[in-house]
Amino acid sequence: MIEIAGLSKTFGSGASAFTALKDINVTIQENEFFTLLGPSGCGKTTLLRSIAGFVDPSTGTLTINGEDILSKPPFARPVNTVFQNYALFPHMTVAENIGFGLEMQDRPKAEIKSVVGDMLELVQMTQMADRMTSQISGGQQQRVALARALAPKPEVLLLDEPLSALDFKLRKEMQIELKRLQAETGITFVFVTHDQEEALTMSDRIAVMNAGRILQIGGPKDIYDHPAERFVADFIGDTNFVDGEVKKVAGETAQVQLQSGKVIKARNVAGGATSGPVTVAVRPEHADLSAPGGLIDGTLKNIIYFGTDTHYHVQTDDGSTFVIRRQNQPDAVEAHEVGEKVGVTFNAGVAQILRD
Amino acid sequence: MSNETQSAKTRWLLLSPALFILSIAAAGPLLIVLVYSFLTAGDYGGVVWDFSTDAWFNVFAEKDFFDDTIGFSDAHLSIFWRSVKLSLMTTIVALLVGFPTAYFIATRPESQRNAWMLLIMVPFWTNLLIRTFAVMEIIRNEGVINSVLIKIGLISEPIQMLYTEFAVTLGMFYVFLPLMVLPVYASMERMDFSLVEAAYDLYASRWRVLKRVIFPLVKPGVVAGSILVFIPSLGAYVTPRVLGGGKQLMLGNLIELQYGQGRNWPLGAALSITLLAIVMVALIFYVRAAGDEETSHG
Repeated sequence: MIEIAGLSKTFGSGASAFTALKDINVTIQENEFFTLLGPSGCGKTTLLRSIAGFVDPSTGTLTINGEDILSKPPFARPVNTVFQNYALFPHMTVAENIGFGLEMQDRPKAEIKSVVGDMLELVQMTQMADRMTSQISGGQQQRVALARALAPKPEVLLLDEPLSALDFKLRKEMQIELKRLQAETGITFVFVTHDQEEALTMSDRIAVMNAGRILQIGGPKDIYDHPAERFVADFIGDTNFVDGEVKKVAGETAQVQLQSGKVIKARNVAGGATSGPVTVAVRPEHADLSAPGGLIDGTLKNIIYFGTDTHYHVQTDDGSTFVIRRQNQPDAVEAHEVGEKVGVTFNAGVAQILRD
Repeated sequence: MSNETQSAKTRWLLLSPALFILSIAAAGPLLIVLVYSFLTAGDYGGVVWDFSTDAWFNVFAEKDFFDDTIGFSDAHLSIFWRSVKLSLMTTIVALLVGFPTAYFIATRPESQRNAWMLLIMVPFWTNLLIRTFAVMEIIRNEGVINSVLIKIGLISEPIQMLYTEFAVTLGMFYVFLPLMVLPVYASMERMDFSLVEAAYDLYASRWRVLKRVIFPLVKPGVVAGSILVFIPSLGAYVTPRVLGGGKQLMLGNLIELQYGQGRNWPLGAALSITLLAIVMVALIFYVRAAGDEETSHG
């Protein structure tokens, strides 16, 4: 279990000071696939490097299984890292790379040999054991980097955007592979990515970060269905933002009056607005088209066919754009046409009030 | 005319200036030196065109002045030995100092590196003789070190540093240090420092990171730097002359002596060829040893 409390990091000092991490508080459970998700420069890599020991936090505490690790150098921490560029040793073979960590721990030769064998098998690289790392493909280098970091059986595996250099198909394969490895080894994975889809498909829990802060922590479904802040709703998936006014709050739900005058039932978050103007988020696939007289009315501006689904862009009467996504059925005939007056509807509870 | 012969012609045309310079400035003089080593010495310097192997005989052996018995030339051998020993020492010290220096510079922010390199290069652009006399000024009996030590009462008599092997080694180290720092720095700058992080992450202590990751990766620079320091040290002339006085002769001084006061050009030529041979043999052994270690990894 990793417990991080009040962690901050400021680079430089005075006028040029840059705060990369602001008051990070998070507990990562044993055996969890935990993802740090955010745009570049949001601090996710700095947080990962703080756990690895390459960044010295300015304030805060960081413990692994109750043991303070901030005072320890990287080589004394029970964590291993898969680097973004893999950082494989170019002067060693695949097998020597994988065995390096064990060798540095002064494990017996026989044990190193058997663990390296197991690892090669785990990442399906047994045939390549004696190749130099420059003689294997990017995807294979990725596997070697994983095996090298897993071989010493760390308590925590840190992965710094490990899939970003791979092409689309290989990335999909490695996503599944990573999930399998995590399940097989039972090691806690802390995974850094800017790819929201990668985060949603692989993680047990996701921490969405921006500008050095963690904005929201939750399961993929929780984060996607119930984003707490505008940034989270915008960064993950596509979202329609609709302005309204809170009329009444009852526990987790609230009555929100839209500008069309219609009142909807929306989900509220802890610390959300209890009165006054708010923004609610509605996912495109949670809304549908209707005849005029829906919750919001407007004109159909665009119909875009995407294969698996079709996107309808509605210019609402108050001037904003609302996107609706409908899954396609085989041989269905398009029932709508551009320029048509339409309404937008969605079910009670799919709208989410955002914290500002 | 076909394109191929045309391009072959162009190639030779482009190469010809370099070939011309090399043939009159390198191959030609070497050939002359080789020929001279098999001729007879003239009475007032120069050579007489009579074939003789005396010069080669005199490189390693000498006739006894009184009874014509033949023995090893102890004087020459000790100078050979001193040259190799001091050059090796110089190379080792330059590596011990140059390697951390290069590492320090390579790990500075990119904007500062050129300034640090400049500090290394400035002495290199200064006249050799001036730099050598500067070292002399520091270590001579009335020099900076001795007068400070005497003033603070640590010693009563000056320590004799000038005109010793120490002085020659120190001087050569100072003069040739940039030749070590430059290639080592160049290969360190190319090194991916995330490899160092990866090694730290995989439980390697600082010393083991140095030994297992950094050193193997910058070895080409270390090999180049060692060669660049060792070879000119072996033939050094000014530094042993000034800092060694007449006492600590090295090969360069011995050769100069034969062409000058000794009036024995053939012997000077033979000694020059011998120096060249030592350098070649040392190079072959060194490069092969460095290469072998490389392949044993793979």
